[in-house]
Formats: sequence, structure tokens, C-alpha cells
Amino acid sequence: MKKSNAYISAALLALGLSACTKLEEKPYSEIISDQFYNNKQEVMSAILRPFTHAGAWAAPTGQTGYWRLQELSADQLAWPQKGKHGYDGGNWIRLHNHTWIANDDNTWLPWKLMYWGMGFCNNTIKDLTPLDFAKIGMTEAEKTTLLAETRVIRAWHYLKLMDLYGNIPIDTLVSSSASPATKPRKEVFQFVEKEIKENLDLLQPLSGEMVGRMTKAAAYSMLVELYLNAEEWTGTARWDDCITYCNKIIAGEGGALKGTIPALEPNIFGAFANTNSQSPENLFQLTYDLRAGNSRFGWQGDFWHYRQRQIDNADVDGNNGIVVIPSAYDAFKDNDLRKTNWMLIGPQKKAKALRANEADSLVLGTEEYNNKPLVFVKEIRRNSDGETGAGGMTRGEENSGARFAKYRQGSQDDPNYWGNDFVLYRLTEIYFNKAEALIRKNGKIATQDAVDLINTCKKRAFKAEDWAAEAYTTTSLTMDELLAERGREFIFEGKRRSDLIRFGKFTTATWWDHQPSADKYKLFAIPFKQTSINPNLVQNPGY
Amino acid sequence: MHKRSTFWARTCFASMVLMLFSLFAFSQGKTISGKVTDANDKTAIPGVSIQVKGTSVGTITKADGSFSIQAPENATLIFSFVGYLPQELPASATAMNVKLAASVKSLQDVVVVGYGTQKRNEVTTSVATVKAENFNQGGSRSPMDLIQGKVAGLSVTRTQGNNPNSGASIQIRGISSVSGDMNPLIVIDGIPGGNLDLLQQDDIATFDVLKDGSAAAIYGTRGNNGVILITTKKGKAGDPQYTYSTYLQREAVARRPAILGVADYIKVAGEGNNQGADVDMYDMLLDKNNLSHYHNFAASGGTANSNYRASLYYNDANGIALQNGRTQYGGRVNVNQTGLQGMLTMQFNLAGNFNKANLNGGNSGGGDNKAGNAGADFEQAVQRNPTAPVIGPDGKYIETNGFNNYNPLARLQQELYDRDQKTYSGDARITLEPIRDLKFSAFGAIVRDEYTDRQYKKKDSRSSLLSYQGGGYAYKANSAALDKTFEATVDYTKTVNSDHTFNVLGGYSYQYSTLEKYAMDNNGFLTDAFEDWNIGAGNALNDPKLPRPSQSSNKIDNTLIAFFGRINYNYKQKYMLQAILRHEGSSRFGANNKWGNFPAISAGWVISKESFMQDITVINNLKLRAGYGITGNQGIPSYQSLLTLGTGGAYLQYGKWIQTYGPNKNPNPDLRWEKKKEFNAGIDFSLLQNRIGGSVDVYSRRTKDLLFNYTAQLPSNILDNIFTNVGEISNNGVEIVINTVPVKTKEFTWNSDLTFNSQRNKMVSFSNQIFKATEQFYGDLPSPGNLGSAIRVVEGGPLGTFFGYRYAGLTDDGKWQFYKKDGTIGGVKEVNADDKAVIGNGIPKYMASWNNTFRYKNFDLSIFFRGKFGFDILNLQDMYFGNQAWKPNNMLASAIGKNAKLNDDPQFSDYYLEKGDFVKLDNITLGYNFQLKTKYIRNLRVYASGRNIATISNYSGLDPELQDTALDSGIDGRGFYPRTRSYTIGLNLGF
Repeated sequence: MKKSNAYISAALLALGLSACTKLEEKPYSEIISDQFYNNKQEVMSAILRPFTHAGAWAAPTGQTGYWRLQELSADQLAWPQKGKHGYDGGNWIRLHNHTWIANDDNTWLPWKLMYWGMGFCNNTIKDLTPLDFAKIGMTEAEKTTLLAETRVIRAWHYLKLMDLYGNIPIDTLVSSSASPATKPRKEVFQFVEKEIKENLDLLQPLSGEMVGRMTKAAAYSMLVELYLNAEEWTGTARWDDCITYCNKIIAGEGGALKGTIPALEPNIFGAFANTNSQSPENLFQLTYDLRAGNSRFGWQGDFWHYRQRQIDNADVDGNNGIVVIPSAYDAFKDNDLRKTNWMLIGPQKKAKALRANEADSLVLGTEEYNNKPLVFVKEIRRNSDGETGAGGMTRGEENSGARFAKYRQGSQDDPNYWGNDFVLYRLTEIYFNKAEALIRKNGKIATQDAVDLINTCKKRAFKAEDWAAEAYTTTSLTMDELLAERGREFIFEGKRRSDLIRFGKFTTATWWDHQPSADKYKLFAIPFKQTSINPNLVQNPGY
Repeated sequence: MHKRSTFWARTCFASMVLMLFSLFAFSQGKTISGKVTDANDKTAIPGVSIQVKGTSVGTITKADGSFSIQAPENATLIFSFVGYLPQELPASATAMNVKLAASVKSLQDVVVVGYGTQKRNEVTTSVATVKAENFNQGGSRSPMDLIQGKVAGLSVTRTQGNNPNSGASIQIRGISSVSGDMNPLIVIDGIPGGNLDLLQQDDIATFDVLKDGSAAAIYGTRGNNGVILITTKKGKAGDPQYTYSTYLQREAVARRPAILGVADYIKVAGEGNNQGADVDMYDMLLDKNNLSHYHNFAASGGTANSNYRASLYYNDANGIALQNGRTQYGGRVNVNQTGLQGMLTMQFNLAGNFNKANLNGGNSGGGDNKAGNAGADFEQAVQRNPTAPVIGPDGKYIETNGFNNYNPLARLQQELYDRDQKTYSGDARITLEPIRDLKFSAFGAIVRDEYTDRQYKKKDSRSSLLSYQGGGYAYKANSAALDKTFEATVDYTKTVNSDHTFNVLGGYSYQYSTLEKYAMDNNGFLTDAFEDWNIGAGNALNDPKLPRPSQSSNKIDNTLIAFFGRINYNYKQKYMLQAILRHEGSSRFGANNKWGNFPAISAGWVISKESFMQDITVINNLKLRAGYGITGNQGIPSYQSLLTLGTGGAYLQYGKWIQTYGPNKNPNPDLRWEKKKEFNAGIDFSLLQNRIGGSVDVYSRRTKDLLFNYTAQLPSNILDNIFTNVGEISNNGVEIVINTVPVKTKEFTWNSDLTFNSQRNKMVSFSNQIFKATEQFYGDLPSPGNLGSAIRVVEGGPLGTFFGYRYAGLTDDGKWQFYKKDGTIGGVKEVNADDKAVIGNGIPKYMASWNNTFRYKNFDLSIFFRGKFGFDILNLQDMYFGNQAWKPNNMLASAIGKNAKLNDDPQFSDYYLEKGDFVKLDNITLGYNFQLKTKYIRNLRVYASGRNIATISNYSGLDPELQDTALDSGIDGRGFYPRTRSYTIGLNLGF
């Protein structure tokens, strides 16, 4: 067979051919990494990549990420099975019952999405660090600022990963073979703290132009979150640090979207409206705009009923997934404007534009209530079969549970239709966090300062005539009440699991059909898909 | 009727004999003249060698078959020609008319082996040949239908039956890859990667299937899944001939799904869902007057030095569904010429196919079908409330309100989805033979495959009202593939001492392929007048409140370069040895591993030629073959080795929305060939005067370095997977072919052919030191419910394993009970992934076919059975539709039959697994050959065929023959496109 090579050569000579042996691939529709970063736009397009990616895991946009773990494992939201719909491999039932395992989409998918986003940051840092910015018409100062921003976005990924998984590998390089080792939660905490603090002063302040970016205000908010949870995460309380950074934000040291200092919205709608990209209350958000940017904060898939587009004359429908747990719905008083405005319940009406005639005003069901009016009910049980009682995760129907309406996109005719940004930090949370730190520092007894902070926020949710009866006092604002009020204020915002853990309720409390679980469920398992290929990973205790 | 000779054999032979002829003077004796004709079709045979026995005196017949030869008295003349049984006749008369009979299953048959041919008895590898006369009869949409069930180990499956717009999935010897290409390489007249659309059934002469590694190694790079070499018909020397072939075909539903009638439906769904009508939507979607017709007209002819064949065809194919047609026309031209004193030969082929497909109805869904759930039309028909009226009194279509419900009849009228496809190829080969048996050859080919899709949804369509605010929606897309091939070979044959024959081949191959696509859509059309022909008129371009119009385009390329060689040696036609080496590079692989070597060696021993066998007259032929070969697979997407950046959606940057970019894959500069090592051993035999013949092959193949998108360490990788080479699959199997002639009399013959194969696949390993995967999942179960994956493959386990819950009965109130891992029983809330177990396998372990052909006088009858055995089917139709929980939709009758006690939502468990074993009466054809005493008509045959006539199976679903060539085999999905019986009447006319 060796002979054939020689033979071939001879043959080619004989035929007078010059053999072409070039095997280059030419990508036409992708860019080779080495040929990128030729101008500011290209640099910026890499800087911003982790932000568009974060929509997949931080916001309820249809994937199992941080948001779903935070909400569906907690006491406010659930994705119950509704007849033949929504069993989905039992994923949502396991999240709700705290029975997830290491080899579970619930543990793998958020890890995958969040480390992927973190990897974008690493790659940008790797590519931009050696780049000569002068050659592409940018300044060294811009380089410093942009690299600082990317490092803090990376820290934000680690902060959220640490929240879910506790002990995780820290990697700041890009490589295709290294197997980084698990670091204890405390070390991850210190890494996040160090990364934020080292870069804090290099960041730009929040401004209208910087909406959606990692600014000083966002970095301060991260430190607030870090210190508020420090006791749970490291064993050492950091209430004063928490208060310090709350004060900086409140004082406007981090900048503001509007004006010089951030301000609470006067009502409960402004922070979430389809014009919320310029809300004075918001400190950090993922920015979207369907009309201007062709990018949508697409919550409809997770939350909306199959015919929900008819309610507001929207252009999409949903998968009838996530609903409010009955006990969480009941946690709102009837005069709480958040109950009536942030959730849908009762018969649902079609937008006027879609009504064929006066009689045609109701949205109709498609399943158990096929061709009958769609009436959302707070119970999650088989009402159509005459079931009574508390119901359960497999007992849902198409109309079960109150529905998400905190964010409202408007109708298709609205020029700002689906212009909503997803809010990650807003001033209200800083008020709540400062109040909580003050109370905890004070031996879990409310101080007047703390009560004032909470009341300032809560007041917006009640009519003036109701307010006097609803305002907290230093005696009525107990720890349980603070947790309950956090729940009411931040429902749907992807924060509930962390709050329950910090208040010691996550694995010990009972809600609706959920029974207390075990301590190990305060952390998610390290995904089996990773422990099986990275020998340096350590599984969390109990899995 | 179809001569076995190829152009090569004929010209070589003719020129050889001519040379001999010129060397010898005529000897004394008488002059005998006459004509040699084909015993079957009575056409003249030019080029027949006539030799006076025991001398070197000889001649060959002229173009009209006539000859004249000087022979001594009492001499014997030997008439011989490739592909015919030689005859020895006494030279008694001065005028002789000789009829040569084609040699049935001749050992002299020429087998196409890639870059050349071999005689059947010299083949040392596993190569199956199917000739035109053995093709499946009746109308065939895909050329692969012609040989379905004819080759042991070759699986051809049409999961949509005779849908004219569906393809066949083809596989040789089972699954050999996980992520790489699993289809055999198709080579049409020497064009690697040839396009099957360019082939018409009447233009094909033979299929040669290179099954094992030692055969396929000559196409090393793409040989892992075997190679199918297709040779088209060529002209031959002699009188110009015309051939006209035609058929008419009609489809009829083989088995309708049993769905509830109005009374039963109301009983289950309640009076509240009674809308008063009684509609059989399934029936309304059928095109019961469907009729397909086909015409192929060919002209051929030639002289000893040049020949041609040209054919034209027209085909109007109509499927069983409404708007499910395909019309196509095209042609093929082949010209061959030898000149320069026989030293220079040129071969030239041109083929084209123009087709227009209506994809609106009967579509399989998925893919780039933006017309919504078009494939689900029949699913809609099955689940549609049978009391729901279709059209209201105002003449408008009525939609049912249910989840995932639409009016399929309305959709068909409101939407349009056409594909206009043009495919052409041209190739030329120039061969120079400066000295005898030394041939230099250069080959070039271009294949172009181009299609345009058009879609339009009218203003009043459900889709436009829902998504486009009542404006029309238009979509247009184009795809253009271009493959350029250049190959050069040199070939030399030398016989030493008349016993040792060597053939040496060397060559170079270059292929460059590109695929370009673009697509655009727009909406907000104020009028339906334009459809997609004025796409700029859609208001969405100007009105930001309408959904954005979209545009996309994409181009990919791929280069393959190879050097290859082959040496054949045979000693007295008794011992043969073949060695192959292909050194090939693909642009798709990493910078460190672009090139691979694909060697093969094989040997054959014709035992029956040994002297000790000469007395055993029972055995006519007995040959032992064994071979070992390494082949490769490069069938992965391009650019997987490179670090590339892709778009990530727009984000706001200082007030402007700009596109973002980030890495879209983990680069792998070490990405390399998937390699398969295959050992094959076989026996060919022929007994009892060739009345029983056949072969047995056993093989063992191991595919290593599986190309697979592995879960990567995350961190430190950016993305969660990386295309890399890890793991190993093994396939072992046996293939048996037996051809018999149980009865052979003057007026009646009966041929009975049997094929059988058995194969086992195993995932030997998923892991190496870095990458470890213990399990992989396939077959995601659809919405509603999204019940997870049906199939799990584990290291060391077989492919195609169903993995799910084990049914443990129902509770008294009809709720599911499943076995848990610890043996206890639990409901749906108690079970998790750990409680799943191996519950079945969807890949058939055995396949068999049995073909019988009876010839009585001018009648012929063939009856063809085909079966697959040893596999399970997951009956998703029963799982979703045979359940009362499917209300308010309509259900299958099993919901109130065998599943009546069930009072729970669909869950995946072994409850829905059934044995899939089946035997089909796949083809029955009765033909009649008219013997006309006219010089105008050469032959005339009429036939009637029925395909997919009967299925014997215990499977409760519609048809147990499913897709079984992929990792998610054995799942009977919810498509409900009807399987049909096809009835064909046809005519072949030669004149």
C-alpha cells in the first residue's frame, strides 16, 4: 500500500496536474474571532453580549434559569399540571416539592445559562485586554471603564450562581480543557466582593444614557445584596456594610436614570410600565424594546393563557404555565392595589378592538372550559370535576390560579407596545434591604427608621382612605410581617427563594400543598452533567 | 432486455479483438455468414466475438449483428460476448442465425466498485448489485424505492408512505454515528454526492452497494455509511431504439385511524361540546380522486465507436392529501465516443430536473416550514370536534376554539406553500489509453440544486388574523447548493505469464461544495392580489406596530481533497487480493487534524476452481471473501473547529439598539475524522447448475472517535458543549441472500429470492479522559405535557433503548401507578428520573424480504414480501389521542375501548409500548409481454402493480413501519399522514 503514494505522485505528474491541497474553511455568515474588534461598535457589541444573554436566565423569558429556581421553589408561584398540560417531565412539581436531584434539568439548565453568560465576560476580557484601543480610535480611559464594567458583570453572574449553588468553581480564563475546582461559598463571596470593589470607582454612574448597563448604582446594589445575605452565605453578618451602600444609592452616589438621585415611583405601575426604561426608581434593568430594538422581554410564554392575547390585543399567546399559589394570593388584602393590579383574576374580557359585537366581550377557554368564558380562579384544583379543598400541583385546570400582570405591555396600537425592561434592582428594594438591616441589627425589633422606609413604599399600594389602617408601626412590623410584605412587594421579581432562606423559612415552612423539606435544599445540587466530567468539582452536601 | 455490457466492456473488447483480427490472415475453408441477436428481445448484438475453436481465427459482429467468417470444415465456432452465455456451434451451414441468451446472474457480470469496475467473480468485498430487471415495480418517488428490500443490510424507509414530497431514509448496516452523517454516500455515474432527484426509474441501469469497509474505503472519507453507486443506462451500438414507459397510479388509504363518532364523542366530551354538525374531517382532507401519471421517452443508439442515449420525462404525482402534488419534468443525455484509433474516449452526461411541489397539504411539518403546523392537518382532523361545523352560513370557515386547534380545511384554502426546484448536473470524462490497458482519465462534474419556497397567508386566514393584525403574510426563501468535483485517475492492467493479473489504480479527487440560503418575509399586505410577488408592498416595512419583517441569509462551504490508490491482483481467477489506500483531508476538521488515512485490504479464494472441487458437480461456484477496511465520516456542520462569533440580539448602547456579538461555539482545533474499522467475511455460492445461488456475509464494525457535541466543562469553556471526537459504536451483523430457481421449464420459471439480515448496535463508549457522558437522550415527547425523552442510550448499552416508567396498573379511580426504583408503587407525583428503567428497543433486530417471480409464457407475476422484526413501537397516537383526557378534542376509539379505565393525563410508560414486528405484502405485479410480429415494435409490456397491499402485524397503530434509521427510532408520532396502498398500471414500449 505504500506503493500507492508513489504511484499517485507519478500519476499526477503524468497528467500534468498541480494538486491543490488547500483546506481552508471560509466562514461567510460568522466572524472569526481574530478578525473582530476593528472599531468601537464591534468592541461594544462584545461588551453588551452578556446583557442580551442574561435575559435568558435572570428574567422569566421561557428558560429554566435563575428566575425560575428563585420563584418556582418558593411560596408564591408554581407551574402546576393543568390536565394534560404542564407536567413537563415533573420538573415543576420537583421544584415546588423540593425533590430535585443532581441529574435534573432544574439544576443543570440554570448552571449552563449562567456560566455561559459568565464565559462571554471572560472572553471579552481576554480579547480586549491585549487590544490596542488607540488603533481603533478609542481611548485608554474607555478601555479601563469597559473592562471594569465587564468584570463587574462577571461578578454579578458569580453572585447569582453563588446564591443558587453555594460552592462553585471560579474561573476567569477561557480554555477548553481546564477543570476548575470548587471553591467554598465564603471564597466566592470574597471574590465577588473584591471584583466589585476593585472596579467600582471605574464604573460610570447610572444615567438615562446608561440604562441597562452595569453602572455604579447597579454595583452598589450588588454589594447591598451581598451584605444583606452575608450572614447566611458566610456566617458573618454585615448589616452596617449593607446600610452604608444603601445610603450611597439613596443619596444618588450611583447616579439615577432621571435627575441626579433615584426616586420612588409615585404609584405601583411606573417601575414596570412599558416606558419603565426611564423610571427614576430603577437602578439596574435588562433593557428591551420591541418596536425600537426588535427585542422583547417575552414573559408571555411562561405566564399567559393560550388565548391571553385577546385581553390586551397583543400579538402572541402563552403556554399557560406559571400561576400564583392560592396562599400567596390570599396574603394580599383585598384593598391592596397590588392584588387587583398586579394579578388577573375573574372573567377575562377581550380588548374592544377584537370584539365582533357587544355580546362577544369574553375571552373563551380552550380546554376544560372550551368555548366557555375564561374565568381565572385563585384555586388550583379540578373545579370542573367538582373538586373541593386545597387542590395540588397535579390538580390544576386551564383557569387555575391568579395570573401575572405586574408588567403590562399595552396593546399593539400603543407606540410603546412591549417596551418594558426587566427590573433587576429598584430603589424600593434598597429601602426594604436597609430597613431589614436596621431591624436585624436591632435584634430583629423594628426601628422607626425601618418602619418609615417600608411605609414609604407600601403607602403607594393603598388608597389614601385605607392607608391609616395599613401603615406599619414598630410593633406591627415583625420579622414575619417584613417577609410577608417583601413577598407582596417583590412578587414575580425573582427574589423569593433568597428571602425565604434568609428568614429561615425556605426548608422549614409549609405553604399550600408544600411540606417542609430538608436543609440541603437551601442549595441546589451541582449538576451531574458537570460533576461527571470535572473531577475537581465537589457535590453539595446531601446530594 | 437490458444488456449487461457497459460501454467500457464493449469498446475495450471490440478494439482488442479488432487488433487481434488484423494480425492474422484468413485461413482456408468456407465462408460462414449470419447474424447474432439477443434471444430475449431479438435485437442485433454488435461486437460479439466469433472464434474458430482451437485457433486464433476470429471476427466480431458488425453494428447490425451480422458477421462473416472463414472456417475450416467441421470446425466449431465459439460465440461470446460480455453478459451473455457463450455458445459453441458446429460450422455446418453457410448461413447461421445465432441467438445469444443473457447470462442469468452471470459471474461475468460487471460490478461497479468506485473508480472502476470488477467482474463479479473477482470481487473480494461485500458488494451487492441490483439491476433494472429486479427493481421494485410501480411508480417510485425516490430511486431508492426501486431497491427497497432488495439488498440485505440496506434499509430504505419512507415514513410518509407515498407522499410525493417526502424522501426516503437510507441506511446500510445500521447506525454508525451519533452526530455525524448517517446516510450512505450516493455516487451517480461517478459523481460523489450525486443528487437522487436527477434519477428517473427508467434511466437507471444498476445499483451497486458497497457495504463493507474494505469496499467503501476507496471513498474513505464518506465511506462509513457505505456507498451506493448508481449507473444510468447508456446507448449501445445497433439500430436506433426508442423506449416509452408510462404508468398511471392511484393511492388509497391503507388504514384509517379509528376515531370516535358523534354519539361516542358527546358521551365522553359532554353535551356542552355538541355543536350540532356531523363532520368527517379526515375524509375531507383526502384527495380521493388522486391520480399520478408518468411518462419517460428515451432514444438511444450508436456505432461501435460512439453511442448516445437521451431521455425525457414528465411526471404529475398526486398524493393522498389535498394540495399534496408534485409535477416534474426533465431529461438526461449521455454521449460516449471513442476515437484516435481507440486511444481517446470521452463520456459526457447532462441531467436536469425541474419540479414544482405543493407543500401546503400533507406536509410533515418542522424544518423551515413557516406555514405553521401544516403537518398537523391530519392530526387536526383526528382531534377535531366531530360536531363542529366547518363552514358557517355566511360561507366563512369556522374555527374551533381549543388549544392547538385549527380548521385544517380552512388553512389549506387560506395559505399557500409551493416549492420550485431545479436540479442539474453535468459531467465529462476524458480517458486516454496511449498503450493498451494504461488509462489516464480526467473527470469533472458540477451539480447544482436550487429551490425557491413561496408562502402566502391570506388576509382572512386564521394565522393573519392572529399574528399580523389581519394583513396578509408573505415569505420567500431560496436555497442553492453547488458541488464541484474534479478527479483524475490512472489505471493499468497487466497480465504476467497469463496467470498473474495486476490492476493498479491511482487518483486525485477534489470537491468543493457551497450552500447559500436567503429568506425574507413581510406582512401587513392590504390585498391578497400579489401573494409573495410584491413582497415590498407589505405595510410592515413602514408600520412599526406590525410584527417586523425579517430577512436572513447564510452561506457555508466545504472542501474535500483526496489521493487514493488501489491494487488488485488475481492468480488464475482463483486467488484475489485487493488493497486500497485513501489519504483525504476535509476543511471541516481542526488545524491539527485535517488529514486522515483510510486503508483497506481484502482477499478472495474461489474454492470451486481448485482441482479437488472439479468433481463436485453440485457446486458451480464457491468463493470465500474476507476484508478489513477503515473508512471515515466528515458529515458534520462546517466551521466546528473554529472560534467564531455569532449574533446575540440587539442591546441598547448609548441610545441606539445595536447587534451584539459573542462566541457561538467552543473551538476545537483537534477536531478530526470519525473512523470506522470494519471486518467482513463472506461466502458466495452457486449450486445445482446455478439453480441455487447466494451469499452469506458477517461483519463487525466499530466506529471510533465519534463526532459528537459533548457536554464541555463549564466553566472553563464558554458554551456548554463542544464538537469533539469521543466514544465508540459497534455494529455486528449477518446478511444472507439466497436466489433460487425452483422451477425452470420451457414455458414456466419460478425465481425465488430471499434476503435476511440481523444486526446489533451497541454504544461501546461515550467517554475518554476528558469527556464523559454516561447517557444520552433522544426522542423528546411533544406538547402538551412535554413528558421528557423516550429514549436513553447508555455506555455499553444498545442504541434505541426506550427508557421510561414501568406501568404498575391503575388506581381504582383510574390514576397511573408506576413502579419505583425500590420496587414500591407510586403515582405521577412520586416518581422521578431515578425510577425510569429500560422498557424496550425501537431498532429492528432482523429484516427480511422474499421475492417470487413467476414467468409463464408471456406472463410474469412477482410477489414481494418484506418484514422487520424484533423491535418495539412507542404508540404516541394511542398515548395522546387514545385518552379521554384529550377532550374537548376528539379521541381515538381506544379511549373508550382498551384505555377506558384510564382517568388520568398522558404519561410515558411501557403501557404504550407494543411489539412492532411485521410482514408486508409490499409489491405484487402482473405483467404481460406481447409477442408482436411486426418490425416496428421491438417489445411491448403491460403490467399492473399494487404496493403496500397487506400488513401482518399485532401492532394496534396504523402502520408498524416507522423511521428506524436514527437514534430516536421506533416512535410512532402524531402526524397521521395516511399510509397508502398504491395501484399502478403501466406500459413499456420499445420500438
